[in-house]
Amino acid sequence: MAQLSITSITKRFGETPVLKGVSLDVANGEFVSLVGPSGCGKSTLLRIIAGLEAPTTGSVTLGGVDVTATRAADRNLSMVFQSYALYPHLSVGENIAVPLRMRELTGLQRLPVVGGLMPGAKARRQRIASQVSRAAEMLEIGALLDRKPGQLSGGQRQRVALGRALVRNPAAFLLDEPLSNLDAKLRVQTRAEIAELHRTLGATFIYVTHDQVEAMTMSDRIAVMMGGEILQCAAPDIIYEDPDDIRVAEFIGSPKINILPLERSGTGLYLFGRSLEWRVTNAAPEVMQLGLRPEALHLTQHAPRLTGRVAHFENLGSEVFAQIALNDDALRVTLRATPAQRQMLGLGAEVGLGFDTQAAMVFDPDGKRLRKVEAMAGMTSEVA
Amino acid sequence: MAVIDTRAVAHAKPETRQARTAWGLTAPALALMVLILLVPVFVAGVLSFSNYSLGNPGFDWVGAQNYERLFTRSTYEKMFIATFTYVVTVVPISVGLGLGAAMLVHSLGRIGDIYKTIYFLPVMATLLAMAIAWEFMLHPTIGMVNRTLAMACGTWAEAISFFKSGCADGFPLWLGDRDYAIWVVCFIGIWQGFGFNMVLYLAGLTSVHRELYHAAEVDGAKSAWERFRLVTWPALGPTTVFVVTISCIRAFQVFDTIEAFWPQGGGPNKSAYVMMFAIFEKGVQQNLIGIGSAITMLFLIFVMFLTLIQRWLVERRVHYG
Repeated sequence: MAQLSITSITKRFGETPVLKGVSLDVANGEFVSLVGPSGCGKSTLLRIIAGLEAPTTGSVTLGGVDVTATRAADRNLSMVFQSYALYPHLSVGENIAVPLRMRELTGLQRLPVVGGLMPGAKARRQRIASQVSRAAEMLEIGALLDRKPGQLSGGQRQRVALGRALVRNPAAFLLDEPLSNLDAKLRVQTRAEIAELHRTLGATFIYVTHDQVEAMTMSDRIAVMMGGEILQCAAPDIIYEDPDDIRVAEFIGSPKINILPLERSGTGLYLFGRSLEWRVTNAAPEVMQLGLRPEALHLTQHAPRLTGRVAHFENLGSEVFAQIALNDDALRVTLRATPAQRQMLGLGAEVGLGFDTQAAMVFDPDGKRLRKVEAMAGMTSEVA
Repeated sequence: MAVIDTRAVAHAKPETRQARTAWGLTAPALALMVLILLVPVFVAGVLSFSNYSLGNPGFDWVGAQNYERLFTRSTYEKMFIATFTYVVTVVPISVGLGLGAAMLVHSLGRIGDIYKTIYFLPVMATLLAMAIAWEFMLHPTIGMVNRTLAMACGTWAEAISFFKSGCADGFPLWLGDRDYAIWVVCFIGIWQGFGFNMVLYLAGLTSVHRELYHAAEVDGAKSAWERFRLVTWPALGPTTVFVVTISCIRAFQVFDTIEAFWPQGGGPNKSAYVMMFAIFEKGVQQNLIGIGSAITMLFLIFVMFLTLIQRWLVERRVHYG
């Protein structure tokens, strides 16, 4: 286990830049998720960390040692692949044993029949067998050790891939969308198991996913990547509640954050021509964007800041999401309501919406967070 | 509009109906197989116990005499030696070269296509025409091969005994030398055949999942050999079965090179007298159908035996993913 840091990594495939100067520090034992839409470079970054791809510029250090020029086989990292990449001709037990056999047995000792007769081979083989059975026990796949990968279900294969990764003691675990081939129910279950595994092993995990729920539920920190850059890297609650960039705010959170146009005239701020009580100076841009999470909105009849008509309605049992069409359907906002408020949200019903000032976020037209404006307006207590 | 006898259809049991349809659909293929494959084999089997000649009004049963000859006469001993030398040499080398060439070509990008074409050319070319080109090249005095070898005379290469004796007494006659003839045929067989194996292996290589190589690398397989042992070779198992079987059958069937080089008798001192040529010589040229059929039966048994052994060996070891 070791601290891992990557410094201003760039990568281009031909003329196409994939990573544009990415830096990230991962502490020992930390679980960091790289999350972003497909094509954002997160898998490439993971493969650069693994050593399967060389960065165009920049460096990777592992436990304080620069490993940029070290090949994957010598980096002492474990990786779980999206396709699991199990060797189809080897049994589950043999698959899990491969990393140990490759590292602990010499070429001669690995030979099928003669290998067992080599000096020292027997003891090492026994040690490998016991390590394999321990890993299999941990993942509850002890009964499958003699089967071939082709005879396993997706979930079982995934466990075997995990077993192969954790059978030795690597500096860090790299996981490349390991849950994407599982069905929804199994995904939730395995998610919890991987998080638990991380706690048990206390090892460094780097986890690539496009699924924000996976990232939110498992990680110590989330690095949101887009267009070959890390937009923000922080704890899940900070990523959700205090995003630096409108793209982060939009990517994380389901249903998506509501973005409304905010205008400044003099020192006053206006939302759809309706004056808000906030006051700012002339330093603030004239056009801004207001971000409101669905739970920041609430139904109100007294001096509503927004009015609209219920256009769509989703009842999830424990909560209710309603889409409210503002300004004659020019814009829709999503509102989270309690089941008790259901009868107020009949389709087509006119509703008034208020929002929590503390929970509102202001972004400039390019999407950067304007914390100064928020502070000026008295929306937050602290100045960023 | 077609009228369907619904009552008749309804009366038959579904299983019986299905079985009847199955046999009906198989019948044409079955009939053809029996007619053009099994009947001739059976006829050849029967004739191998006779002294029949084409055109003769009758024939006598000679019992196992034809087979007895096959195992006692020195001509046929030479036939077996030549055939097995050819098969044992050509199969492993052409399979190995095919695999090697396939992996090299596979690792290349665009240029790979050029090599693919070059290596595949001998497969497409008519072997008979190619044999004539080889005959010129291997000509003892004016041939390219011996002239090239002669260029080494007077240099350090003379330290090698082959060049030493070659420069002093002349280089081998190749096709005219009974020590070299079968090896020349083997060489041409390999040259001609490995391109085909390469193409088969190339197809096999495309199906190897790329992530497996990455997994092998992360798992600590440092050398190319280790990755080959761990990923490539097992993945190519089914391809190898096919390639080896096909190569064996093709090697047993070698004929046109021998016919082109030595139309009158299978090489100097019958050193390249392979089975296929013997069948042709006895059965067609000399009209000795009986002995020709006996060689044919033996040929069939060899090929069948080889194929069965391979299947049996391989079915236990090869993983079909």
